[in-house]
Amino acid sequence: MELVCVGLNHRTAPVEVRERFAVPAGKLGASAKELLGIAGLEESVVLSTCNRTEFYIAGEQAEQAAVELRRRLSAEHGADSNPHWYEHHRIQAAKHLCRVVSGLDSMVLGETEIFGQAKDAYRQALDAGATSGTLNRVFQRAFGIGKRVRTDTRIQEGATSVAGAAVELAEKIFGKLAGCRVIVIGAGEMSRQTAQALLSRGASTVFVTNRSYDKAVLLAEEIGGRAVHFDEWAPVLAGVDVVISSTSAPHPVVLPHHIESVRRVRKFRPLFLIDIAVPRDIDPACGAIEEVYLYDIDTLEQLAGEARTRREKQIIECDRIIDEELSKLNLPGT
Amino acid sequence: MDRWFLIAATALAAAGGITGMLSVHQGTRSRWTVIWMIAAFAAQMGFLYVRGQARGACPLTGIGEIMAFLAWSLTLFYLAVGPAYRLSLLGVFTAPLVTIIQILALLPGVWDAHPIRIPATDPWRETHAAMSVLSYGALALAAVAGVMFLVLDRQLKDHHLQSGLFRNLPPVRELLKSVVRLLWIGVILLSIGVVAGFMMPRQGGTAHLIAACGVWIGYAVLLGVRQVRGLTGRKFAVVAVLLFVGSLSVFALV
Repeated sequence: MELVCVGLNHRTAPVEVRERFAVPAGKLGASAKELLGIAGLEESVVLSTCNRTEFYIAGEQAEQAAVELRRRLSAEHGADSNPHWYEHHRIQAAKHLCRVVSGLDSMVLGETEIFGQAKDAYRQALDAGATSGTLNRVFQRAFGIGKRVRTDTRIQEGATSVAGAAVELAEKIFGKLAGCRVIVIGAGEMSRQTAQALLSRGASTVFVTNRSYDKAVLLAEEIGGRAVHFDEWAPVLAGVDVVISSTSAPHPVVLPHHIESVRRVRKFRPLFLIDIAVPRDIDPACGAIEEVYLYDIDTLEQLAGEARTRREKQIIECDRIIDEELSKLNLPGT
Repeated sequence: MDRWFLIAATALAAAGGITGMLSVHQGTRSRWTVIWMIAAFAAQMGFLYVRGQARGACPLTGIGEIMAFLAWSLTLFYLAVGPAYRLSLLGVFTAPLVTIIQILALLPGVWDAHPIRIPATDPWRETHAAMSVLSYGALALAAVAGVMFLVLDRQLKDHHLQSGLFRNLPPVRELLKSVVRLLWIGVILLSIGVVAGFMMPRQGGTAHLIAACGVWIGYAVLLGVRQVRGLTGRKFAVVAVLLFVGSLSVFALV
């Protein structure tokens, strides 16, 4: 029995190539079943995400079947994709799968979404009857190894984006964000991303204000918040926990007196100020107020960069765990 | 036997503190601290039982017994509050304090090797002593949580976010909630202790009771101001720590 992985991903193929081979999320099982018609191929799983399309195949002559698979793919989607494909055989294919489910092969190193996507791809193939002894064992072991990698290393520690870093800090200040109220000053893209990241973690209410009220209304509608006129945002500070500011104003918009005027009403509760504007929107003097935690774009970028570096340093340890675990197993097809 | 129980409790708490600090240094969660503290608590219970049998009363006679009881109370509140509120790091801060208090209780001159049986006990006196020391366990733990808040607050303010300590500290809001809850528990227990103090037969002066009332007023004002007017987390935590240290000093003198 041979195990082969044929695929292309964000490193080997640009998006215009990847999109041609993408398989819709609901058709992974059917697609895997379809491959069983190739001579020498007895089992298959198709994994398709925005960053990769991979075919895990097993059979007595899987290496020959892989050649036929690539011929078919070229015939259906164009031969110009040939240079973008990679192939891993036997133990290397199993190792590649472990790296994929561990997030080591992802665009955002250590991301967790791929684990669920791989599980879903496997489940669909299993339900479609496209897997048997070899791929069942390989995938189940890969999920176990992926879990160990994530538990025993720091590969998923720390946020790797500005929005993620802001959310992590908010959680360090407020714990669970359920019930947290947010005001977004300036309806730009970064504000939208950060507000959405906070909402996805449970923030309850978002106020949006912008010099152009129409833009505030648009963003508020998009994220399910409430628009506030730009000359009325200051009193809203009394009831919020997080301020995200990203206007294009050439001078600070949030000044210490804005916060001082609502401190008593707020009963001096912690206030998290996120300044993602350049030039800065929030007067640095605001950070001197006791209950205020002020972070600007540079600090958040630095935090995200440090998290990325920490994750990169974990790759060697993750690979060691994968090799150690695979060496313990006598996986079929490897 | 009682001494060995206390020595065991001290060693177990020290082990909890050391393993916890090592975990924090490595940037991981201190999962074993709570286990060590449960073991230390069992040893403390053994000490209190043997000592209580010897005294024929609650073992709160002499500074050594009071300190051992305080350490037990501190451990009790840590076990009640720490795991429940996911404050795993609280044990790392609490264990060294418990260790130090118990080491002091074991020092020659402080430790009473031959406890004398108390012929007759007064329930008000026993309630006063037990509730007062128990309240100090809660107030001490509030001070520990207050110190944790101050450390986290400083790190967040200065953007020093890479240490293992920072990663393991609970969120600001959780810490402040814990301080408030522990202070309320402490003040309620202290209130019972103070009332019992007024009911018990007097021996000597009233300085001790006046000090207890002063401490009670201090904490009540702190909680009242926070409730009514509000206080920044930093001021609240600093006052909670200072009140605890100050009240210990006052009781050492009166």
